[in-house]
Amino acid sequence: MNATQSGYYGRPIVKPPEWTALIPIYFWAGGWAGGSATLALGARLAKNERAARTLIVAAAAGCAISGVCLIGDLKRPERFLNMLRVFKPSSPMSVGVFIFSLFGGASMTAAASELTGVARPIGRFAEAVSATTGPLMSVYTAVLIGDTVMPAWHHARRSLPALFAATSALTAGGVGMFFTPPADAKPARRLALLGGVAVPMALERLRDELGTFQHEAYQRGKAGRLSHLARLLSLTGSACTLFARRNARIARFAGAILLAGGLAERFAVYHAGRISAEDPKFTIEH
Amino acid sequence: MTLTIDLTTATSARAQSATYLGERRDRRGFFTDTTLCIGCKACEVACKEWNELPQDGYTFTGMSYDNTGELSGSTWRHVAFVEQFDDSRSRWLMESDVCKHCTHAGCLDVCPTGAIVRTEFGTVVIQDDVCNGCGYCVVACPFGVISERVDAKPEEHRTHGRGTMGKCTLCYDRLKTGEEPACAKACPTESIQYGNVDELRERAQLRLERVRESFDGAQLYLENENDGIGGGGSIFLLLDRPEVYGLPPHPVVPTKHLPQMWRAAGVAAAALAGAVALASLRL
Repeated sequence: MNATQSGYYGRPIVKPPEWTALIPIYFWAGGWAGGSATLALGARLAKNERAARTLIVAAAAGCAISGVCLIGDLKRPERFLNMLRVFKPSSPMSVGVFIFSLFGGASMTAAASELTGVARPIGRFAEAVSATTGPLMSVYTAVLIGDTVMPAWHHARRSLPALFAATSALTAGGVGMFFTPPADAKPARRLALLGGVAVPMALERLRDELGTFQHEAYQRGKAGRLSHLARLLSLTGSACTLFARRNARIARFAGAILLAGGLAERFAVYHAGRISAEDPKFTIEH
Repeated sequence: MTLTIDLTTATSARAQSATYLGERRDRRGFFTDTTLCIGCKACEVACKEWNELPQDGYTFTGMSYDNTGELSGSTWRHVAFVEQFDDSRSRWLMESDVCKHCTHAGCLDVCPTGAIVRTEFGTVVIQDDVCNGCGYCVVACPFGVISERVDAKPEEHRTHGRGTMGKCTLCYDRLKTGEEPACAKACPTESIQYGNVDELRERAQLRLERVRESFDGAQLYLENENDGIGGGGSIFLLLDRPEVYGLPPHPVVPTKHLPQMWRAAGVAAAALAGAVALASLRL
């Protein structure tokens, strides 16, 4: 075998992530939790109490899922606390842990107050904090993976935040449609549709930023199959959203499909990163 | 191995590396002259011995005499064997690879706990008692140097969950007592040379001029302070293109583009907030 043809015996030059599948789930849950929190504040201001209540509780639940995934990947709870020991602006994970802690703490407080009726003013303040940090929670994970040497992530660093924001809108809308009756879910449906339009636009930008050669990582193997699945689910979910105004069943179905589509998209991005690390050509030819 | 380093250095990683350059302290590093390497792997063995690293198992890769495969959390020196047999030439390239101790180190930048620090020798070291095993450094290294240290005893591994990350410390403990790193000490041909980085750069330049007389493809790797990582603390003399040895031809520290990424994230977050506001309007 002539080793010059594909680097060193075709072996990876950079190491693929050691992160488990819990990490893309963390990205997904954090995405819709952030969007839901902001949507909750919108509902509150519009005097849509029912949607506000549902969405802030959903945001808190999303934070709980995120927390479990994060600690599950780190293996030991005290390792999460170890990250709060320093604040390092040069590390998106350090910045992210503080965003997550602020957003998670605020969402949990707001939801607890909402459900128990205790300390309402504090709960409302927490809700505002949760709503303002929500969008950051949704997109900071794009910076986290952009700031690596995985070619499929690093070379897409300017369009990944847009993709994560779009997917968050799509899934947060899905959460709203799933858990609130259609009569109260108008903003959720609109957000889902805005997300449904924004996701293909963001994917287009991602393709342009990467160029044909690097974009192959998103089309190959698991990444490719998941991308197709994500597109199919988002389209189906968006189409169903158009008919979800009166029918609660269709609304639930659409919400669930959109959430599944968002999850498939996050996994597609995760696997594209792995694939681009495992084949040295993505690292060599740039 | 427990390292005692003033933890204040961990909190201002950027500033630290900047003042380091400004002060021109005595930065230590390696010059690995691959033209002298005979592939004996004494460096691999000496490194494992001194740093008490676990074995990697008896695997046969089929890649020439390289059954080590790659640098990892438990392998801090790795000898690459490249066989080039075609019509025009027949040669065997050997190269002892190691952590590059970058001037702008991606691992150090992204480490969220401050476990990775720049030492007084200008080297980059992971403090294993601070590391929480998040694995961010693994994907921030342009050279694929770092991975989880997997110990030989699987039962121990299970109880502790994911271990900590590991890489070359440039024998920080030996440097503290004025010794040279174990690999350089063990190298029988002086293919691995240890010393002040500026001196090593000059020496590498002189050596390149001589080697070029016989080998067209000879080139220095990571000696340029203006490259994507600000130059390496480990520099190499190679006889072929970097990728032939499994090295990235254009390494760039990922944090170089961090402001650009946060700007894009800020725009995306604002757009998400705007979309929510639009959706929430009473129309």
